[in-house]
Amino acid sequence: MPDLMRHPLTVAALASVLAALVGAGCVLAAGVSPGAAGSALWDGMFGTDYAIGISLNQAALLILVGGGFVVAERTGLINIGGEGQICIGALAATAVGVNAGGLPAAVAVPLVLVAGFAGGAVWAFPAAWLKVRRGTSEVITTLLLNFVGLGLVSLAVHENALLRQPVTSAETLPQSEPLAAGAHLPLLGLVTSPATIAIVLALVAAIGLGILLRGTATGLKLTAVGLSAPAAARLGLPVTRLEMASLACAGGFAGLAGAALVATAPFVLSDGFSSGYGFQGLVVGLLGRGSMLGVVAAALLFGFLNSGGINLQLVAQVPAATVQIVQSLLVISIAGAMLWTREANS
Amino acid sequence: MSAVVDLLAGGVTMAVPVLVAASGELVSERTGILNLSLEGMVLTSAFAAVYGSGQTDSPVLGTLCGVLAGLVFAGGQAVLSVTVRANQMIVGIAANTLALGITSYGSRVLLGDAQGRTVPGFQPLKVPLLHDIPVLRQSGLAYVALALVVVLGVLGSRRTGLGLALDAVGADAAVADQAGLPVRAVRYGAVLTTGLMAGLAGAQLALSEVHAFTDNMTSGLGYLAIVAVIAGRWRMVPMMLACLFFGVAQALQFTAPAMGVNLPVAILVVSPYLIALLAVSGLAGRSRAPAALAVPFVRKG
Repeated sequence: MPDLMRHPLTVAALASVLAALVGAGCVLAAGVSPGAAGSALWDGMFGTDYAIGISLNQAALLILVGGGFVVAERTGLINIGGEGQICIGALAATAVGVNAGGLPAAVAVPLVLVAGFAGGAVWAFPAAWLKVRRGTSEVITTLLLNFVGLGLVSLAVHENALLRQPVTSAETLPQSEPLAAGAHLPLLGLVTSPATIAIVLALVAAIGLGILLRGTATGLKLTAVGLSAPAAARLGLPVTRLEMASLACAGGFAGLAGAALVATAPFVLSDGFSSGYGFQGLVVGLLGRGSMLGVVAAALLFGFLNSGGINLQLVAQVPAATVQIVQSLLVISIAGAMLWTREANS
Repeated sequence: MSAVVDLLAGGVTMAVPVLVAASGELVSERTGILNLSLEGMVLTSAFAAVYGSGQTDSPVLGTLCGVLAGLVFAGGQAVLSVTVRANQMIVGIAANTLALGITSYGSRVLLGDAQGRTVPGFQPLKVPLLHDIPVLRQSGLAYVALALVVVLGVLGSRRTGLGLALDAVGADAAVADQAGLPVRAVRYGAVLTTGLMAGLAGAQLALSEVHAFTDNMTSGLGYLAIVAVIAGRWRMVPMMLACLFFGVAQALQFTAPAMGVNLPVAILVVSPYLIALLAVSGLAGRSRAPAALAVPFVRKG
């Protein structure tokens, strides 16, 4: 019986119950009936094609960031830099996308996505290099690079010489020009839904990464490095190269998420365009506990909860912060119980 | 000339809450606990300080509320980091989201229509002579907090037994444990110290500078304090200089146009992070990160 109590799924279920109870408490304290709040939350998650589309688009971003995180985690590296990598990926994608006028979508969309992946990978590189050459903790460097990345986006959209749209009046917002029509991510074509092919892309990436990690020699090598870098080096594995590649891969997928973000309506790069997907993706990656299926499940949960929370505030007048509280309690209780579950499995 | 004075005065004012928060975080990090949740601690304290001051009409009681909130928050963090040995990165980031959620929710439900309204706060002290120097025109709370920073700096210097104990626990907890140091107690004390200082930093920001609460009013102040610890290479005096520099860089955003300097704001905003990157890169001198930073301790065998 204790093994069942210590199963990760049991812990996740108990954490969900706890978080849901606190969420219900927040709803009651705001003076709203739980029924009204529940139906507003449900409508915001699954009520309309629009809600489902928005949720799927967000989940896609989280799958990409979280999936990349898992790859780096496999070699024992913690990538806190998702937010910065999203920024640089989006910056590169925007630079390509606004200049892609006249290109057909079959060319422009892959170009934009590749630019995003490359941008994110490049942004992970300084952290990877410092880690393998100087032994500097990647936790600290990727954290710092987040803020530099956010600053660079701000710089790019405020400077006319960079990506700012032509200033025609005092009201011109500091943001980029919209991406050329050919560079927009195609819609999935579900009725009146804003869901783009991003979710398909993300699921394909998740399956690909899952196969890479579980079914290939490369995956085994990454795992060996993560278990013990000195032992892996004794076996003749190129530890340095594997570590750098895995962190660059994590950066690349976050950059890809950045590209998908700017290639989705409203198709512009602006200050604060990412609204924390990097940090949320990190949490999704951690909750997935090394499994791509776990990452997809956590990303869907967070994606749907995000859009449900907005509706909760709009319709039921419950502060959207309630969803933030519920999500973070979920994460803290699962993280707090990790030792408890790990001891059972070892 | 007056523009330079404005710049320095503005810089010091911006630097005070960052320095107060950073000095507490320095103590924690030297014992090996990384509190990414510092941002959330300061934000929660700022909210509690505003709520307390608004309810009691007393900024002193408000400050106490802020400090209490910081201590409670830090207590939770300490349980998770030291006793439960949870991943400090995950818990820290989630705790920041939790703090953002709780304070945004709280300001809607508890403050309601009074959101953003001015509450009783602290005014700059009218000390003769000192008051005539713009840089020193700070509130009493700021002076108390800065005095505590100095106390921490002296008590925790590596010339005292306490300071050595902090570094020993952060360098290798297992060895420190064998040498008879109470590793867990030291770490609990360190995290609670961080909470105390974060509480003062939040109260200073909310009651001496802004006199109100707005959603996410810290907007990265806690992260900046962590960055100052890194940029100062885990030493008090360089960390103080880093805070002062960060403050001036922030103030420069507002005074640069008046001084006829045209710098893109973003460059000023990212400069602290670039400096910190340089400091940890080992490209300019040796970095001295505590060896056991973010590594939980459990007695083996």
